[in-house]
Amino acid sequence: MSRYEVTFRVNGEERRASVRGEATLLRTLRELGHLDVKTSCEAGDCGACAVLLDGEAVNACLVLAAQADGCEIVTVRGIGTEGNLHPIQRQIVEKGGVQCGFCTPGIVVAAKALLDRNPAPSPEEIRRGLAGNLCRCTGYQKLFEAIAAAAQEMRG
Amino acid sequence: MDYVRAASLEEALAAALRPGAAFVAGGTNLVPDILFGRKKPVLAVDISRLRELRFIEERGGRLRIGALATVTDLLESDRVREAAPPLHESAVEFAGPLVRNRATVGGNLLDASPAADLAPPLLAQDGEAELLSAEGPRTLPLASFFLGYRKTTIRPGELLTAVSLRSLGPNDRSAYQKLQLRRAMAISVVSVAAALWMEGGRCAEAGIGMGAVAPVPYRSGAAEAELRGRVVGEAEAEAAAAAARREARAIDDVRASARYRERMCEVLVRRLLRRTLGLPSPARAH
Repeated sequence: MSRYEVTFRVNGEERRASVRGEATLLRTLRELGHLDVKTSCEAGDCGACAVLLDGEAVNACLVLAAQADGCEIVTVRGIGTEGNLHPIQRQIVEKGGVQCGFCTPGIVVAAKALLDRNPAPSPEEIRRGLAGNLCRCTGYQKLFEAIAAAAQEMRG
Repeated sequence: MDYVRAASLEEALAAALRPGAAFVAGGTNLVPDILFGRKKPVLAVDISRLRELRFIEERGGRLRIGALATVTDLLESDRVREAAPPLHESAVEFAGPLVRNRATVGGNLLDASPAADLAPPLLAQDGEAELLSAEGPRTLPLASFFLGYRKTTIRPGELLTAVSLRSLGPNDRSAYQKLQLRRAMAISVVSVAAALWMEGGRCAEAGIGMGAVAPVPYRSGAAEAELRGRVVGEAEAEAAAAAARREARAIDDVRASARYRERMCEVLVRRLLRRTLGLPSPARAH
């Protein structure tokens, strides 16, 4: 079975892996210890594995690891950490947007991509921006409020 | 599975000659198909970095779209919004942003789902597929591209490089609607795109693209015949709607019954034509 050497940067740090052709970026990131990228449907339906790939939000389960060779990847930990939360993360905490927490990393990544593109989204645009992220606790309303508040905070 | 990243079109075509090779770009269909064992390619030929296949340009009254243009590219293109409003609308309704950033125009067509979101708008605007193989290029109408359920005319080793469509002008008319069970991330129950090219109040040319109501997406030739060359009013819209319903070959599945789908062909064609023509919504039938 052929293996392929890939190198990419994750949250600014270089990572190398030897992957099989069919390995997905999601599974490879988790094998490298990036457990903040969540595995759920592995079919592109739920958004739990969302990462920024060269600045664009994608489902890591739909990308072959070999395709990410040379790319810049940002996971939720690259957006903000426990000691230095990003406004999106802090607002989700403050507004009670976390229930079981499993969808939260993907939601933060999708929200970051949304606000990078559109710093002042309408409520409808926030809903559409998160359309690819499922929260099975159905805690959407507080998430939408948190993202709106973060957008306002970031605009200053 | 082996993997090779093509650095040029030539490399891609050469690699694809190997039996069991499959092109991969956005991967939104192929990667889960591989993971869940629905497809077992021997070799993935990664074409995702062929920049020359990612473009949107006008040429000779047609809009050409590279096979690697993403659905996000369509959504953000002013040219698509102006020259192909139904295609723009279909991009708005397509999955969610995470998928739109990866899913390509070529991939959506080659997956050849009866519910392929981009197919009805492209069919309605006289879409053509541009194909390339080691033997050279060929162009064929999208209407003859889809052969059967998830089957296209593409040959082994052949690459879909671009699609083109006949542009709509400011005086032309068009509309699109996708029926779905939720407002995003949903597979189409029925989708219809309508395009009418107008000349002095007459419909000079018509395109009606239908999705999820037959084994393949298709042009409703019967509905188009009721419109082409005519001054389109209530009676013509009604005739086209009835013709579209007669032509549908829908199936029952988890999303809807065949009967519902066929009825919706009529409702949507009528609704879209009335909307494009500025006719008031009809009273509900009892």
